[in-house]
Amino acid sequence: MKRSYLTITIFIVVFGFLFATNAFAAPKKLVIGHPACLSGKYAKAGEQAIGGIKACIDWVNNVYGGVLVAGKRIPLEYKYYDCESKKEGVTSLIERLITVNKVNVVFSAYSSGLTLAGAPVAERYSMVYMDHGGASDRIFQQGFKYIVQTIGPGSKYHVGTLDMIKYFDPKAKKVALAYEDSEFARMTMGGAEKHAKKLGCKIVFKRTYPKGVTDLTPLLSDMKARKPEIVVGGGHYEDGQLFARQMSDLDINVKAVSLVASATLPAYYKALGGRIAEGVMGPSHWEYGVTFSPKGAKKVGLDWIGPGQDEFVSLFKKALGKDIIPDYHAAEAGAQVLAYVKAVENMNSVDQDKVRAALGKLKFMSFYGGWDVDDTTGMQIGHSMVDMQWQDGKRVIVWPLEAATGKLIYPKPKF
Amino acid sequence: MKIFVRGGDFIYKGNTQETLSESLSEVFSNRVKEEKMILTLLAGNLIHGLLLGGVYGLATMGLSLIFGVINVVNVGHGQFIMVGAFVALTMFTVLGLSPVIAIPAALIIGMALGFFFFYTVMRRLIRAPELTSLLATFAMGILLEEIAKLIFGADFRGYYWAVGKITLPITTIPMSKLYAFIGSIAIALFLYLWFSKTRIGTAIRSVMEDSEGARVCGVNVSWIHALSFAIGIGLTVMSGVLLTMFIPVGINPYMGGGYTLKAFVIAVLGGLTSPYGAFFAGLIFGLIENGAYTLFALIPGVAPFPLTVSLAFWMLFFLLLVKPTGLLGK
Repeated sequence: MKRSYLTITIFIVVFGFLFATNAFAAPKKLVIGHPACLSGKYAKAGEQAIGGIKACIDWVNNVYGGVLVAGKRIPLEYKYYDCESKKEGVTSLIERLITVNKVNVVFSAYSSGLTLAGAPVAERYSMVYMDHGGASDRIFQQGFKYIVQTIGPGSKYHVGTLDMIKYFDPKAKKVALAYEDSEFARMTMGGAEKHAKKLGCKIVFKRTYPKGVTDLTPLLSDMKARKPEIVVGGGHYEDGQLFARQMSDLDINVKAVSLVASATLPAYYKALGGRIAEGVMGPSHWEYGVTFSPKGAKKVGLDWIGPGQDEFVSLFKKALGKDIIPDYHAAEAGAQVLAYVKAVENMNSVDQDKVRAALGKLKFMSFYGGWDVDDTTGMQIGHSMVDMQWQDGKRVIVWPLEAATGKLIYPKPKF
Repeated sequence: MKIFVRGGDFIYKGNTQETLSESLSEVFSNRVKEEKMILTLLAGNLIHGLLLGGVYGLATMGLSLIFGVINVVNVGHGQFIMVGAFVALTMFTVLGLSPVIAIPAALIIGMALGFFFFYTVMRRLIRAPELTSLLATFAMGILLEEIAKLIFGADFRGYYWAVGKITLPITTIPMSKLYAFIGSIAIALFLYLWFSKTRIGTAIRSVMEDSEGARVCGVNVSWIHALSFAIGIGLTVMSGVLLTMFIPVGINPYMGGGYTLKAFVIAVLGGLTSPYGAFFAGLIFGLIENGAYTLFALIPGVAPFPLTVSLAFWMLFFLLLVKPTGLLGK
């Protein structure tokens, strides 16, 4: 009897030891899954995001030495498929990444609509779902547990823009809002409207246009008749091009034009043939030239992780094999890699719930700037935006003043 | 005191006869200004609608011609428009040539594509079930999209052709739009004359009317099929150039889908087998699309743009109920 107890005890101890070592053993690699927008309407932002993610993975694996889990440095791997910028692509690919590719974390596609479409799938599998391209506040009002945002909330996009205009021109009052009828733009413009009213501005025009619009002439003619001083609008890249182009066609010359999620893209200037983009502004989560550094992080009491700005830019160019400067889509996607690495290291685990809890508590700074999310909702609260303006074919940071790389041209040059 | 004025109530808060009369005159003057502004906007939008309608009309003529002659609905129609847009973009940005020069180049490229697709795909499908030809043209469209993506990438591109603007009291018109409209009218007129005054044009019309009868009269129906398909595609590709003169941004491999939808509505509106009907329907479509915005904007609490977009489909629905053969269809 005693002997059999002893055998059982030995068996339990040995089995338990084996189980424990296996449980705490570091996996051989950490896989990031991503339904990427390689084609379709978000292809431009999608390419940037892939470049940013690859650049930061390159940094983690080859400069940082890998992710430290259970005393071992393990490499990051990146698995992505083209979702064609479509919701059905996003949902099926997330399922595939989780069940077939056995990824450790899922990065969202791009845009609020696609991010929102993918969230329930990640939630069903209790998978940490990191959002670098969905800015709508509504995503975080659904009660999802595993979503964590790196991009800032949509309602804050134009807060800085309007503050800046009021700072330079306190008399400017008449604001026009013309924007795409999409989740993201509605949220962004809702925030802009609220802030404009708070600053004492009058909304003289407020209209939406449907997605995929090919001619904005009637709407812009209507807007012109209301004689606005400040125009805030857009929605995504393609309608942002159309917006500025047709404002120019109709000779709508105002003091300031700020277009969301389009004017900040490097290709925007070329797509408009140059001159029309001059003076057009856009809010951005990151711009080349913003000065975040380990020294600055120390000053504000935050940990620093990741490459410096120039190192990130060169890794980005290497990742895409193109000599282009990354934009904020690349930076926020890259910063997300760093946040995940930091959370895994802080918890010394790849368990989804533990990583999600660590992300909720995480505060750090990288080349992208500050990173801190609301513990419960996962919404980004620690990152501040900048405003850029096209000046002589270059993107110049004009706000906030402490981050500015040039002076605002105000009123903007005529189209 | 609450006074009723047209368009709403006016609450008078003053206490003298003079201030009441001043307030009322201000209300009326604002009302007159508002009405004048609406009329100006409507007139301006109708001008832009007419200009755009001309290009829409030309863009649909190819679809109607192909359906009229070989009885095939080209589901890949918009993708041929996309080819034309890239012809204009490449000639402008790479070769530095004006979009006006890109028009004949697009016709040649379009006709070459038309002959290629006819002899490789469509010839075998003329008498095939409708679904087969629908799938074949759908596949042609996807093929074109993917080739364009391979060559140009998936970016949204554009160009800036600085040819000035005309400023009218009611609106501003870029010269590029005016050139696109004039180009469309000239091409449509040329086609009309070509169809009615030349032997080949007459042969095409005879095949449209009755292909068996035309064959009995000695018309080489097979060649007319090939030629009509090539002309139809050539016209469509050419209209892609004209569309970029109108809207020179957003050029990308996937831009065709929206235009296919519009072209179908216009083609049905004009009578599916009538290229001229398609042209006039294009003009009407452009006018309604632009003009309706101003009128919908008068309805309080309504977003006029989405209504304007859906209006085209309401028109189609109504027309199919009332006159299924279209405006000029028989």
